[in-house]
Amino acid sequence: MLEIAIGIILGCCALGAGICMGIGAIGPGVGEGHAVANACEAIGRQPEAKGAVTSTMIMGCAISETTGIYALVIAILLIFVAPGMLVNTLTKAIKTLGA
Amino acid sequence: MFLTSYMRRLEGWIILFKKVDPTVKKETRFIAIVVLLLLVLMEAVFLVIGQWDMTVLLGGVYGAAVAVGNFFLMGLTVQKCLTLEPDEAKKRMKLSQQGRLLMLLVLCMIGAALPCFHTVAVLVPQFFPRIGVTIRGLTMKDKDS
Repeated sequence: MLEIAIGIILGCCALGAGICMGIGAIGPGVGEGHAVANACEAIGRQPEAKGAVTSTMIMGCAISETTGIYALVIAILLIFVAPGMLVNTLTKAIKTLGA
Repeated sequence: MFLTSYMRRLEGWIILFKKVDPTVKKETRFIAIVVLLLLVLMEAVFLVIGQWDMTVLLGGVYGAAVAVGNFFLMGLTVQKCLTLEPDEAKKRMKLSQQGRLLMLLVLCMIGAALPCFHTVAVLVPQFFPRIGVTIRGLTMKDKDS
């Protein structure tokens, strides 16, 4: 029974990490793509503003990429940290209930 | 044959690095300085709470290097994309973002899996460029006003 519970915990953690990365990577990719496309048009209209547009673009991309990094960190915590904690909690709970 | 193709690719990368836009260099330098300062702060916090050891230092340095490298690669992609047509630039940026995220995932997993790195110390520096960008935004606003 305990093995099944641990298996479910590990499976859910892996599934959660996968979903987290999958969904978390969509938004920044689409956002950065749109931003860069518009920046290209802006430079096409005003080539003399290339430096300012590039600078703003890099900062904007860094901001939009942060959500992807949040998802990445959560996924890594789900893979490396959460299973151990959850299994420990489960084992302690079973011991307490048994005693 | 393989070696010639590899050498040609390597030459391409070297040429690309030589042609780095001054704006990209400037922004990366700023972000690197901010990341370094925040890394020192993070190490100090670990020291104060009594959790500091060599793994925290190594993990922090590794995480900071990954974060700055990711920012620099993003700058290079933006520099390249701004010379392309809008539709092509959009596709290239999406592809680059996904590639860099995959690279970050692999590097952070290596950092979390290896016992010589502290997991939290590897992950926390990934947020430092965001803080740097916020600071940059504030300083740019002050200059504008």
